[in-house]
Amino acid sequence: MGHGEKGRPSKSMKPSSKDDYRNAIPEDEEATYGEEIEDDYHDGEGKKKDFSKLELKPDHANRPLWACADGRIFLETFSPLYKQAYDFLIAIAEPVCRPESMHEYNLTPHSLYAAVSVGLETETIITVLSKLSKTKLPKEMIDFIHASTANYGKVKLVLKKNRYFIESPFPEVLKKLLRDEVISRARITSEAAGAEGFTVGKAMGEVVSGHNELLNEAQLAAAAEEKETHSFEIDPVQVENVKQRCLPNALNYPMMEEYDFRNDTVNPDLEVELKPHAQPRPYQEKSLSKMFGNGRARSGIIVLPCGAGKSLVGVSAACRIRKSCLCLATNAVSVDQWAFQFKLWSTIRDEQICRFTSDSKERFRGNAGVVVTTYNMVAFGGKRSEESEKIIEEIRNREWGLLLMDEVHVVPAHMFRKVISLTKSHCKLGLTATLVREDERITDLNFLIGPKLYEANWLDLVKGGFIANVQCAEVWCPMTKEFFAEYLKKENSKKKQALYVMNPNKFRACEFLIRFHEQQRGDKIIVFADNLFALTEYAMKLRKPMIYGATSHIERTKILEAFKTSRDVNTIFLSKVGDNSIDIPEANVIIQISSHAGSRRQEAQRLGRILRAKGKPQDRMAGGKEEYNAFFYSLVSTDTQEMYYSTKRQQFLIDQGYSFKVITSLPPPDSGGDLSFHHLDEQLALLGKVLSAGDDMVGLEQLEEDADDIALHKARRSLGSMSAMSGANGMVYMEYSTGKKPMGQGKPKPKDPSKRHYLFKKRYG
Amino acid sequence: MVNATKGLFISCDIPMAQFIVNLNATMPASQKFIIRVLDSTHLFVQPNVADMIKNAIADFREQNSYEKPT
Repeated sequence: MGHGEKGRPSKSMKPSSKDDYRNAIPEDEEATYGEEIEDDYHDGEGKKKDFSKLELKPDHANRPLWACADGRIFLETFSPLYKQAYDFLIAIAEPVCRPESMHEYNLTPHSLYAAVSVGLETETIITVLSKLSKTKLPKEMIDFIHASTANYGKVKLVLKKNRYFIESPFPEVLKKLLRDEVISRARITSEAAGAEGFTVGKAMGEVVSGHNELLNEAQLAAAAEEKETHSFEIDPVQVENVKQRCLPNALNYPMMEEYDFRNDTVNPDLEVELKPHAQPRPYQEKSLSKMFGNGRARSGIIVLPCGAGKSLVGVSAACRIRKSCLCLATNAVSVDQWAFQFKLWSTIRDEQICRFTSDSKERFRGNAGVVVTTYNMVAFGGKRSEESEKIIEEIRNREWGLLLMDEVHVVPAHMFRKVISLTKSHCKLGLTATLVREDERITDLNFLIGPKLYEANWLDLVKGGFIANVQCAEVWCPMTKEFFAEYLKKENSKKKQALYVMNPNKFRACEFLIRFHEQQRGDKIIVFADNLFALTEYAMKLRKPMIYGATSHIERTKILEAFKTSRDVNTIFLSKVGDNSIDIPEANVIIQISSHAGSRRQEAQRLGRILRAKGKPQDRMAGGKEEYNAFFYSLVSTDTQEMYYSTKRQQFLIDQGYSFKVITSLPPPDSGGDLSFHHLDEQLALLGKVLSAGDDMVGLEQLEEDADDIALHKARRSLGSMSAMSGANGMVYMEYSTGKKPMGQGKPKPKDPSKRHYLFKKRYG
Repeated sequence: MVNATKGLFISCDIPMAQFIVNLNATMPASQKFIIRVLDSTHLFVQPNVADMIKNAIADFREQNSYEKPT
């Protein structure tokens, strides 16, 4: 009988919980947001809502923003109050689009969750908003803020002695949580946790009578907490699921993760300090203050453009927490760079920091220190060498004060999620420049790491001279007659990409730009090509060094060194290995000849390679000697698919306020006789080469350490999979059907048990 | 002897001319519409195909342009 009772519920739970897990986030979010807002868009902009009766406050000209009932907020950047208003809005709302004089923001439950977790209270949010708004705050918005913030801060996730506890001053909240299937299943009722469970029952009556009226006051939670905390333990493997269940779109008790590092006597201190020459810039200071607002460390994500000094933020955070720190980077090169940054900015001693990569397996000495490694090394599931097995065991068993994650936009990929569940850390700090992904997994970051703590405005940093002022240009290269004829033929559908990338007009434009910048301005140039065939062809023809996936570490270092120091090497060709975290501060021109379909992230990351500020600060400011000191060219063959991708890729940068200039005739018609492929027979020879190359050769490069989730699906080079591989499929689906259908198309349910997500494998296997 | 044929004179850029030539090539023999390719930017075609060509080009351009979803 007992057997039957136990068997039945769990059976009926299986499908539902699986569906919950798969659908909870996208469906709910879209149900509450997508649809409402979408409808409003159509109603509002289609039928022209009547705003003539909307009352303006008498002194509206002095107030910088306008809040709409649907959660959208518009901010005038020319207002004298802009700075204050911006700081406030960035804390409570999600930036949608930030051109020069008018910004658009959107209030979402997630953004409000982030606001509360950095210490803003419901009433403060409402009063400040209404103070700044030109009109009376719409009632819908006030209700919405109340509804989304009422429950925040009531539940905390705490890591004690390598075990996870859910803590709350309100036992009835815990009871409510335990009524949820996912959470109750994740609960561990060993003897120790049983004792904890008792405290919930025992103190209940008292709390109900005593603190009932405080229930809605999130800020008093902290005060109550000192008197009574109730907690139960949960399974470390299930932490992610539990967190997800607690998000606004499910149980709506988002968990705060705070780390009271000053009072942590269990974990040994790490004796490091920032060196005096490390002077955080104002925005770095601000982002850190969001993280350490109340003397404790909060988990979350800090978004700063590339080149704006993310590593200093990371190192400062580690120095403030002063506990062991695990720093994760995307590849071996950036591991070296992080280790270097730690030594550069802080007083850390050599034996306190170690790198753990496939090449260098340094061991941890002392009882506290910094380990720099890659996501791959930690998440790797196969067999390891004995030595690295030992190190990984150490990493797993240790309680980390800070988990520092670089380029966090890559984390949601399956293997990277594993890292978070494997390592136990009190506080997680994610750093990224581009919080966009072409798949829907960006929302996962909210429960995997934490809310977004700070996001810098690119244009403000440009104005402040902290990052380079980049001139973006899209160069339109018409297809030549012969190439376009081949492009249109059905039998060449697999070679389309190679044909538009190898377009002789594009090659000539590229050659022209390289010559111009090398000879006239003495610039350092990076040429990006995702297409390996094109990369080799271009590099060989122009006699320039190139780096791609198969280039060995030694050769890479040699080429990069030559590029940095030699006056003869001014141009290098990079495949997409160069997208992330290869630090080449010398470069200030990027020419992009082929790209990863419509990936907005890649575009932004590539731009980031040249964002590091150059020259003297006074020259860089508005009105300085040169207005632009960095150039980003994207070469596009007109009348081909590339036009579509190119426009799509630019969206992120356009939302950040960048504008793309279109250049139509390069090289100028009266010159170019000395460039390659001037004569028809040369062009035809090139065409022959492209057509005779095998389909494999002209495809995209596949990298093992590929960052984007979609590209991780191995070896799908079959016909028609290009868009799926590049993320275009998911994008089309995601963007065109927002709020219409729940997910489902993109994620078929895994039937093969071996393909199951490891969380489910544990449960069902 | 002079032989007159009524037709449509198309003037366009190089890629579009190629597009029309390709369109013509995919048609079954009975529906081929190009009377003569004059040079790389000029074509002489049957008088009744103007709309068809315009639509085909519009479709093609549509595929290659991206509009930001709202």
